[in-house]
Amino acid sequence: MFQYIIRRLLWAVVIFAAVTVITYIIFFVIPADPAALAAGKSATPEFVAQVRHFLHLDRSIPVQYFYFVKNLIVHGSLGTSYVNRRSVDTIVGEAAPVTASLVFGGAILWLAIAVPIGILSALKPRSLADRMTMVFVLIGISLPVVWIGLILQWAIGFKLGWLPNAGYCDVINPPVGATCGGVVDWARHMVLPWIVFAILFAAIYARMVRSNVMDTLGEDYVRTARAKGAPERIVLIKHVLRNAMLPVVTMLGMDIAVALGGAIFTESIFGLPGLGRTAVQGLDNFDLPEVMGVVVFATLCVIIFGLLVDILYGFIDPRIRFE
Amino acid sequence: MDKRLWFSAATAAVGAGLMVATAVAAPTKASAPLKAGKATAGGTIVTELSTDVDYTDPQLTYYQPMWELEYATACKLMNYPDAEAPQGGQIQPEVAAGLPVISKDGKTYTFTIKPGYKFNTGEAVTALSFKRAIDRLTDPKLASSTSFLVSDIVVGAQARLDGKASSVSGVVASGNKLTFKLTHPAPDLLARLSTPPLQAIDSKLATNEDPQGVNNAASCGPYYISARTPNRSITIKRNPNYKGPRPHKIDAIQVNVGNTPEVIFQNVTKGTTDYAEDGVDPSEYAGIAQKYGINKKQFFTRPELEVDYLALNHLPGRLFANNPSLAKAVNYAVDRHAYTAQRGFLAGNRTNRILPPGMAGVTKKTEILKGGYPIAVDNSTLSKAKSLATGHTADGKGLMWAPNRGPGPLQAQIVQYDLKQLGIDLQIKLLPRAQQFTDARVKANADYDINWSAWGADYNDPFDFINILLDGSSIADTANNNDAYYSNAAFTNQMHKAALLFGEQRDAAYDQLDKAMMSQDPPWTPILNRLNRLFVSSHFGCFLYNPVFEVDFAAACRT
Repeated sequence: MFQYIIRRLLWAVVIFAAVTVITYIIFFVIPADPAALAAGKSATPEFVAQVRHFLHLDRSIPVQYFYFVKNLIVHGSLGTSYVNRRSVDTIVGEAAPVTASLVFGGAILWLAIAVPIGILSALKPRSLADRMTMVFVLIGISLPVVWIGLILQWAIGFKLGWLPNAGYCDVINPPVGATCGGVVDWARHMVLPWIVFAILFAAIYARMVRSNVMDTLGEDYVRTARAKGAPERIVLIKHVLRNAMLPVVTMLGMDIAVALGGAIFTESIFGLPGLGRTAVQGLDNFDLPEVMGVVVFATLCVIIFGLLVDILYGFIDPRIRFE
Repeated sequence: MDKRLWFSAATAAVGAGLMVATAVAAPTKASAPLKAGKATAGGTIVTELSTDVDYTDPQLTYYQPMWELEYATACKLMNYPDAEAPQGGQIQPEVAAGLPVISKDGKTYTFTIKPGYKFNTGEAVTALSFKRAIDRLTDPKLASSTSFLVSDIVVGAQARLDGKASSVSGVVASGNKLTFKLTHPAPDLLARLSTPPLQAIDSKLATNEDPQGVNNAASCGPYYISARTPNRSITIKRNPNYKGPRPHKIDAIQVNVGNTPEVIFQNVTKGTTDYAEDGVDPSEYAGIAQKYGINKKQFFTRPELEVDYLALNHLPGRLFANNPSLAKAVNYAVDRHAYTAQRGFLAGNRTNRILPPGMAGVTKKTEILKGGYPIAVDNSTLSKAKSLATGHTADGKGLMWAPNRGPGPLQAQIVQYDLKQLGIDLQIKLLPRAQQFTDARVKANADYDINWSAWGADYNDPFDFINILLDGSSIADTANNNDAYYSNAAFTNQMHKAALLFGEQRDAAYDQLDKAMMSQDPPWTPILNRLNRLFVSSHFGCFLYNPVFEVDFAAACRT
């Protein structure tokens, strides 16, 4: 187990290096000059040179990358934004809880929808309920998140006024001047984003749960359990779901990890100051440190959640050994 | 496994319950909308920005919406009155007791500071408060983008920027006197002094050298920034120590950041937001105008100090090098109406001159040059264009750079079609705006014949357009604002002379220069002056638009 974790961590270093190098290269392939942008439209050539030095952009790309890695490892710093010179650690630190609110709330919602629907459909295939469920799945998968978001925002948030149409409220320490704060305000503002974020995943997961449960129901050990007279509830819970949920756990871990890197569409539609919106702003402004901050955070999420899922697998399914 | 499943089910139920509970819970207590009617003192104006400001630090911000807010918070030596155009565009002393005493050689300006102005902290505003601002603006540790406002004219400013001096030697504060020593006469100093980076700052901010700047600094205007959370909000409150003549009716201005233009439109419509500071989705304006009328109560249009133009590249080897006939032909041929329409409903007014309306010297009568290039094309203008172009189209090929987003691609196609009529096959190169902007400033990269371009004033003086954008003697290898690479020795000489003039003489000289360049050797095809489309809630009263700084929050009230 210990050796396995060490091996995974070493791979994580390789993945991290590959992702950050590729991001760096992509950024510098784009021929815009961040120093000229940061210097402003009226800057003289001398001032642009001064700003280039100020932002360390007068060094070669490999040297810049070296300093980025050194700062990250030695000082735990992601650098400072080219645009507003704020610490990227602070920017990512402020945005991450917002994205986490969206992703974890959304994950609870999509599981709450997908698991019961998937099981129900699998138990009664080709029934009316199953067909209706599959219609929901088709709709959920087909409709673009942006469209659903805009429609719900307009109808429920603006026209009906049942929920806030956008914005974010902090659970604790809302900023000065904020018109909302606390758990209830936070959750009220998150309901629509959670729904929008969850619909696609709920549809995908419902289909996956249905398919896994149907496959498992046909396994020999399920037939054996029934033949031995086990009650249907026990068969379903102990034998079917335990096995059918294994791929779901894997998917869940990866989906949450990827989404933590920024749910760009949902955050943009609902004005949530999370990592997705931060990444979009960074790209718009050619702000490499800000983009790198989000990329590093997302990479770490993927690595950590991947590791957690693998470890969790061993506990869920004792047949799996860490070799 | 039983326990795990039940735990999952229970968690899901709790989550779903929480969502349902929050959905039906009472809405957040927001500022109660007042019924439309009489203006009331006090209250809060809520404004929204879809994109956060760069900084709130006065020496660092270089972003129009922040300058708009700082019009309410800053006190300056010279400022523009709380009035609409044209009065609002005429500079006047604010903290200065009167106009400066100017030496005979035009290189020394002495101001006397009016007593009675105080920061919100209680500290008095003195001559030193302004010197501190200039010292901080040129602090090399801050590397401020707005240091250009003093670096080219104030003695010792460049030395300070280069790290060779601890303060700007050309600015001397002594008692209530503040003296500026200039490297050369610069009558636009007064306009520059009206910009937010040159506002008075208190002793605490003066010592701050953090390149991130500060989120809330003391200020001496009618309001001050009391708090800022980057990417979230800015809170501006009334300065309790302000005793000056400027209005200050409302208690506070709350700036919320981050919603999309679509949401901001919804919020202003509902009245939970009072002003869409960086606009709403362009597709909404026609509906807004239909519903609320134009310039009545909730929807206003006002000109910006701005011009959209096609820069005609005069570099050797390009189409417009020593080719005024073709430059004139393009000015006759381009369909300004079609080009302007691509920006959307009421997005701009067509123009045929360099200087925009609202600029000193440009009157209502001269906004469009009579006898100048046509703002509507027809067969006669096209014939004129063709005759001018004949024999001047070189190999009949050209390249146009345009932004790849917004109206840029369609506008480029319009120009492509118009030039086709002249026998020029124009290729279009679409670029991200940031890349287009930075590349066009580098002489070696500027391989276009026509560049889609736009320029907004930093301060209200024709120098900021004519000299900054068209002075051939300032063309360098990099960082050129002169993206036409226009260099006409006679006009450059006239620009230098006009820059030394004062008052009406100055305005008239630049007006003449604009006309002469356009008629004899056009550097550009000026196309439109953008209009600010301003959507406010029914609670936003006392609406006032200053032609330089835009919406005047100090004058605003709630109804």
